[in-house]
Amino acid sequence: MGKRKPSFEEALKQLETIAEQIEQGKIGLEESITQYETGMALVKHCREILSRAEQRIQKLHEREDGTLDTSDFKPSQDT
Amino acid sequence: MIDEPFDPTRVRVPPEEGLDATAGHVTVSQVTDMVKRAVERGLPSTLHVVGEISNLKRHGSGHLYLTLKDKFSELSCVMWRSSAARMKFTPADGLEVIATGAVEVFARAGRYQLYIRKLEPRGIGALDLAFRQLREKLEAEGLFEQRHKRPLPRYPRQLAVVTSPTGAAIADILRTIERRYPCVSVLVYPVLVQGPGAPEEIARAIERVNSGAAALGEIDLMIVGRGGGSLEDLWSFNEERVARAIFSSRIPIISAVGHEVDVTIADLVADVRAATPTAAAEIAVPALEDVLNAVSERANRLARAMHNGLRLGGAALDGITARGAFRQPLTAAHRRAQVLDLVSQQLGQSLPRRVADHGGRLDRLGRVLGRIAPEAFVLRTMLTVREIEHRLRWVVVQRHAEANAAVAFCAARFARLSPATALRPFSERLERLSFAISVSTRRRIAELKRRVDKERELLDALNYKRVLGRGFSITRTKKGRRLVRSAAEVKDGDRVVTEVAEGSFESEVVNVRQLELFE
Repeated sequence: MGKRKPSFEEALKQLETIAEQIEQGKIGLEESITQYETGMALVKHCREILSRAEQRIQKLHEREDGTLDTSDFKPSQDT
Repeated sequence: MIDEPFDPTRVRVPPEEGLDATAGHVTVSQVTDMVKRAVERGLPSTLHVVGEISNLKRHGSGHLYLTLKDKFSELSCVMWRSSAARMKFTPADGLEVIATGAVEVFARAGRYQLYIRKLEPRGIGALDLAFRQLREKLEAEGLFEQRHKRPLPRYPRQLAVVTSPTGAAIADILRTIERRYPCVSVLVYPVLVQGPGAPEEIARAIERVNSGAAALGEIDLMIVGRGGGSLEDLWSFNEERVARAIFSSRIPIISAVGHEVDVTIADLVADVRAATPTAAAEIAVPALEDVLNAVSERANRLARAMHNGLRLGGAALDGITARGAFRQPLTAAHRRAQVLDLVSQQLGQSLPRRVADHGGRLDRLGRVLGRIAPEAFVLRTMLTVREIEHRLRWVVVQRHAEANAAVAFCAARFARLSPATALRPFSERLERLSFAISVSTRRRIAELKRRVDKERELLDALNYKRVLGRGFSITRTKKGRRLVRSAAEVKDGDRVVTEVAEGSFESEVVNVRQLELFE
């Protein structure tokens, strides 16, 4: 998969491509097996991304120099 | 303040120095002042004047000058910059308006004017008009065109929400995101969403998120909005500044302002308009369940494809191994050998035949050539000659045989004849003849004999052996067996062989001397 983990979208797209290749028999059996392994690694990667369940919510505020900083955000309901 | 009707008699005229009030003379200023006081007293401090704008002039200072008119009259109006800046819409000639303000006298010009504090379009609200006007302007610039809409990421990793930190909107958005897709990070940029300064804050927040996105680990998507409220409450999202900030954003923006029915300029410029903040969150992120299903579906599809691929491969393998070539690997070889045999057999038959054919043709050709070739001609001639010779010989032999036969026949006839009778004449004659022959022959023989003896004697005399017998010898060189006739023919050291009457001997030459030296 290379050094950089693909984004979820890239991973899905790659999965799609691999499935198509194997389905259409465009690649040989050995290559299919390699691709299948890659595909399964991608599936795992996708599930990992999705299982990062804690929703991270932070507040942005502007520093004096104009750049942004983050801090914990606690939503309150008073309108 | 003053509600009683205007009464000119109640206008106080200030005492003017140097002027006799009793004489009935007043100055221009006095008149103006009287009018001013009368107007201030007699007119309500706030008037809502309905009329049509004409002669609109926007001064460099920011003040507006215009005339309000109706069918019968005209009214000069002034709107100071401070008031004009608060105006939501843009006034224009011909526009029916309601001008709110007070009539005052402008002493220098000696005229009265309506000082407009607030100008509103007539028939529709000012905000409505402002909205229409801004929409038309931005539309003319192409800001709402579909080609400017950026696509939304399907699976955002981090998104920013520009809204009030305390409103219902942010709560709705966060709740919805948590429910649907808890694997996304949310950055909340708190802003004022209504009141003075709100448009600036919103616009600035959008710009900041764009410029700071990289430092924050990339922001895939932005939601800009607020919860429901009056048109005035939502007005910030109809501000040109906000609209331009949204348009300039690199990050795709979902607008979520108010409720379903509220459409703001921000909504028109945004890449996607959501009816409500909740809807915005639903658009922003997919449902995790759906995504997981999609992943599983792909995983299954992949596994299925792989399984099929393997099954097909296996089947193909089975098919191949089931074929004769693998079950009886030699069959193919045998079949080939058979073919080879057949072919070689055919060759064996055809080849000699073809060679013979060619040979025959070659012979014919040779014969043709032979007829032409000179060697053949010579040969043929020779053959002809031989044949003739042969025939001739045969004829000779035959003739010879015939002759012999004839002789034999004759001899036989002669033998059968009585010798006495037959041969008498012959023997007599023979006798005579033999006598004659014998005399002459004897003579001749004797003569010949003498001649022969004479010759022999001569020959004996000539025979060198006899010379040797008389004590002479013959000397030859050993090499070459040359006769040595002169001493000059040999030199010292040569070996010579000397032949004498009885035998020979070898000797070496010494003291060769020439003949003259000898004498």
